[in-house]
Amino acid sequence: MKPLMLQGHERAITQIKYNREGDLLFSAAKDSKPNVWWSLNGERLGTFNGHGGVVWCLDVDWQTINLITGGGDSSCRLWDLETGKNIATIKTNSSVRTCNFSFSAYQAAYTTDKAMGRPCEVSIIDTRTIDESISTQTPILKWEITDSKVTSMVWGTLDETIITGHEAGDLIQWDLRTGKKVHSIKEHTHQINDMQLSRDATMFITASKDQTAKLFDTSSMELLKEYKTERPVNSAALSPILDHVVLGGGQDAMEVTTTSTRQGKFDARFFHLVFEEEFGRVKGHFGPINSLAFHPDGKSYASGGEDGYVRVQSFDQSYFDYTFDYNRD
Amino acid sequence: MPVADDIQSSWADEVEIDQGALPPPSEVVENGLKIVTEYKYDNDNKKVKIVRTYKIEKRVVSKSIAKRKTWSKFGDSANDKPGPNPATTNVSEDVFMQFISSKEESQRPDDGELDGLKPPTSRVIFKCRTCQGDHWTLSCPFQHTELAQAKANEAAKSTDAKTATTNKYVAPYLREGGAGRGTSREPPGARRDDIAAIRISNLSNFAVEADLEDLVKGFGPVQKLYLAKEKSTGHCKGFAYVHFKFRADAAKAIQTLNGHGYDHLILNVEWSKPPQNN
Repeated sequence: MKPLMLQGHERAITQIKYNREGDLLFSAAKDSKPNVWWSLNGERLGTFNGHGGVVWCLDVDWQTINLITGGGDSSCRLWDLETGKNIATIKTNSSVRTCNFSFSAYQAAYTTDKAMGRPCEVSIIDTRTIDESISTQTPILKWEITDSKVTSMVWGTLDETIITGHEAGDLIQWDLRTGKKVHSIKEHTHQINDMQLSRDATMFITASKDQTAKLFDTSSMELLKEYKTERPVNSAALSPILDHVVLGGGQDAMEVTTTSTRQGKFDARFFHLVFEEEFGRVKGHFGPINSLAFHPDGKSYASGGEDGYVRVQSFDQSYFDYTFDYNRD
Repeated sequence: MPVADDIQSSWADEVEIDQGALPPPSEVVENGLKIVTEYKYDNDNKKVKIVRTYKIEKRVVSKSIAKRKTWSKFGDSANDKPGPNPATTNVSEDVFMQFISSKEESQRPDDGELDGLKPPTSRVIFKCRTCQGDHWTLSCPFQHTELAQAKANEAAKSTDAKTATTNKYVAPYLREGGAGRGTSREPPGARRDDIAAIRISNLSNFAVEADLEDLVKGFGPVQKLYLAKEKSTGHCKGFAYVHFKFRADAAKAIQTLNGHGYDHLILNVEWSKPPQNN
């Protein structure tokens, strides 16, 4: 497979996501312009110009009409996808670390960092009509996180809950009707870098700095599986068609030069979902992989790295032919 | 009397002018392919011609995707032409997934590759002079047999020779365990299976892999078949390589097939030559 290399960013990639139908690929980086690409040929559709600093997170609604981004310039922005115009800008007190539309896109959630004397906050906004008024709207729900800050977040089942992953490794499920904790578990010992839902949203996978990725049930928050590596995991994604998990990671960017030069530190690593065993690796990046996403058809995936490149790789036939050896007894 | 024509510019000047200007880029669309030709100067100030070939595909997609495909570009891409812009989109080299079959391999420590290069330390350094077993000569089971007498002298000699060689410096790549690394540096063509590889040329343009298989399958087990194909059309380029399992089968195939008529063409079959190192 010849991967497509997308070179639209000048700095490290922070997050990449496909839209629901998989024809568009969105990428955010530590430079100020998120990009959108046609996933089939890697042609760039446009850039979203407006942020004044690093863009930490982005999300696209299920109809591919709007995009939400959050960045280090203490703003959360909503964009019109067809024209690339900035519709609304929500000013926050500190930088926005995570933002996500709910499945129906009637609501969106964003979280801010604990910085500049401000606590970490989770805010839920109403996004049924997206226009300038959102800039001044007060969030429909907002609460403070007193202990370690939120580093990743996903929406739970039926848009009734959200699940936050924290710097200390905690996972908390919040009920949005009451704003209270439903479940709080601590299965990771270090920061949770990424959380992604399975195709049917019944499970989600976490990627943590403690060198593991773990699979949880979305509603009961029960730990299902664990994937161990020997390096911090920055991102993990679940295949929509096969029982496969892909993990990406590597050292922190600051530690890269001080460690062994052996190749393979920056590979995307494929694990079997059930057996928790690694079966394949794909090389490519010159630095740690920061974000991974499976194409919704499961026939390709994209990875964004610290080296600033996004690589879109379609799988060879050998990937689909591969079967995992195991005893049926 | 001949009248001298006005000399508009001397040929020497023309060469000068030529060097400054680049031929205009061209774009040709023909039978499903778009060929874009550009000229530019590389780092050494030499003129370089860049030819990019794009394949134009038609796909049936859902209405919503088709509508999005008509969106015009915006932001920093607003001025891009239709089609991928080489400044932001590139195709990189082929990357294949490496499958990990055994568990041990995946859990190998980081510098495991280098372990083989260290001189072996754990190996048994003593040897029975009588039977070359891993025990002292004193405890040899053949101690009091004829064998002991006969072997004693001979064995003593060979161990002397051995110690002489082990004391010598051995370059890392010649040491045991280093050999694995050494072979991996060889050019890919120099693999061992090449000894049973044959090259079939003057094949018809319409030959496909199945035809080739039919042709050679009678001679013996085949390890690998490779039919060279035109990238864009998928037609055969006229030659193929066949790797047999056994060299004898390959020889038989050459003998029978060389000069054999196939699809109105006479096949030319020979041993596959290792690629020339240049």
